[in-house]
Amino acid sequence: MASAQAVAAPGVLARVRRNAWLYRRCLGAHLRSTLEYEADFWIMSVSAVIAQGVGIVFLWAIFGSIPEINGWTFWDVAMIYALVVLSEGLSVLFAQGAWSMAFTVNLGGFDALLLRPFSPVLQVLSSEIGMNGLGNVALGGALLGVSVAHVDVAWTPATIALFVVLVVSAALVKVGLNTATNAAAFWIKTPWSMFAFSMHTFGELARFPITIYGIGVRLALSVVLPYAFMSYFPAQAVLSTGTAHWLGFLTPLVAVWCLVLGALVFRRGMLRYESAGN
Amino acid sequence: MRCVSLIEVAQLRKVFRRADKKPGLAGSVRHLVERRFVDKVAVDDIDLRVEAGEAVAYVGPNGAGKSTTVKMLTGVLVPTSGTVHVEGRVPHKDRIANARRVGVVFGQRTQLWWDLPVRDSLELLRDMHGLSDADYRRNLERLDATLGLAELLPVTARKLSLGQRMRADLAAALVHTPPIVFLDEPTIGLDIAVKDRVRAFVRELVAEGTTVMLTTHDLGDIEDICRRLVIIDQGRIVYDGDIGTVVETYARERTMHFSVAEAPASLAGIAARLPDAAVAEGPSDAQLDVTFDPAVVSSARVLAAVQAEADVVDLRIDEPAIEDVVRRVYAGELGAGGMQ
Repeated sequence: MASAQAVAAPGVLARVRRNAWLYRRCLGAHLRSTLEYEADFWIMSVSAVIAQGVGIVFLWAIFGSIPEINGWTFWDVAMIYALVVLSEGLSVLFAQGAWSMAFTVNLGGFDALLLRPFSPVLQVLSSEIGMNGLGNVALGGALLGVSVAHVDVAWTPATIALFVVLVVSAALVKVGLNTATNAAAFWIKTPWSMFAFSMHTFGELARFPITIYGIGVRLALSVVLPYAFMSYFPAQAVLSTGTAHWLGFLTPLVAVWCLVLGALVFRRGMLRYESAGN
Repeated sequence: MRCVSLIEVAQLRKVFRRADKKPGLAGSVRHLVERRFVDKVAVDDIDLRVEAGEAVAYVGPNGAGKSTTVKMLTGVLVPTSGTVHVEGRVPHKDRIANARRVGVVFGQRTQLWWDLPVRDSLELLRDMHGLSDADYRRNLERLDATLGLAELLPVTARKLSLGQRMRADLAAALVHTPPIVFLDEPTIGLDIAVKDRVRAFVRELVAEGTTVMLTTHDLGDIEDICRRLVIIDQGRIVYDGDIGTVVETYARERTMHFSVAEAPASLAGIAARLPDAAVAEGPSDAQLDVTFDPAVVSSARVLAAVQAEADVVDLRIDEPAIEDVVRRVYAGELGAGGMQ
């Protein structure tokens, strides 16, 4: 039997490449097992479309009685919506595992992750593939397709590139925040992710122009847990509207910050991990 | 620098904080307002050294702190105080390097991906450990030969029976041929056939020079595999030494079971000839048992004494078992710190 060889400390780039490759391998393995249940896949996708679609119907109804909110028309807000649904979809598709943390950590399954030679936080995030994310991406794409025709943006290759960067960054903002909020599982000893879910629900407020809220909510959504950077701010940057639309260009930086925050909270939590039984 | 052991544990301690609640709903509600906690010391300042190639049995009653120790040795739990070094590394700090050198099986809980076929789990581990295809295939063939793995490969982990799961778990823990292996109750709940298979497999590992630390309740596992015995009770190590020595010191008594042609009217005659042994009636009329310490009374004297009083047809001797020692520790006869 060949002996396992300790790999010499690799360079940063090599480490990033290895982690990305292993992440893709884990997701791929779960994709295959998920696809075995075809009915599940369709039910999840359709549910996702319904869940997000309800919000759009609600929006339609509101704008049916008032022409605009704080200077934002229906199609402007539909843009924000499209952005949220798209980036949410990407985060669900590629990092749904964050939501399994409460279960894994508090029922002792976390032990196994700590015994494998791969970053525990990446193992958690890649432990599930959220096929309902595809439903989100499809709906978000369609909504975007319709709303771009109605908003006042000159679509050049530069704005398209900017938009792609913003959507990906927005998804990473959500992944970072999901990781940070779900890591509460290391402190809250229940197998349910109620805390993270309540934060997620709070983040839904940023589907509307956040200028309609008071200063407290605005600060919370843009500084404390910057959910607005997955919706309102990047939309502002694309539409070039609002008082400080340049803030949206910071989305990639905010994404990095959120990912670092998620990793830090997770690491702190890991030190508290008590396994189950003894 | 002094000579360093493969595994070095010094003053290792783990304290869990548990909520101190009064029973019932009222107690729980009260706890919300008036939070009280109690410290539970699971592992209490233990010292341990294991050299390369050793096979160590780590035993003790439920809740003695066995699994907690193993979890600290493998980096799953962070010690409250004290130090752990495995090959000079601190497992919970240098987790990934440690995981490459160590294989761990927890009998109570699987480490396979629950929703994946066994084959996918093993292939993911292959990639995480960075094994070459050739190495992986060779190891898999080896594991298949002893564990009968082939039939399990296409099965999703959640659909495996307990015995199948344990075989797959062993394969997952050993696919990278680690030089150090921790087995925490690897035969729990298994039937005799699978148990034998697992034991044979572990014996083979030990023969190859793998360092093995085995935690178990099943004393059959120990006698088969390990030479060194460490007994833990209430978080403290109460014995650490050779298994044979323990048996000689603490399980010296053996029992001779006699079948006789005709039951003697009274056992008093035999008892009078053997004042240092215990003579008792056997399970039937024509049987009797003599329990004695060979260091005090020789087997020959026992046999002669019985033969003088009865017509011996057959006899059988029960050798002392490690079980007897551990049972005495469990029963509290050898208190913490009483030996060593």
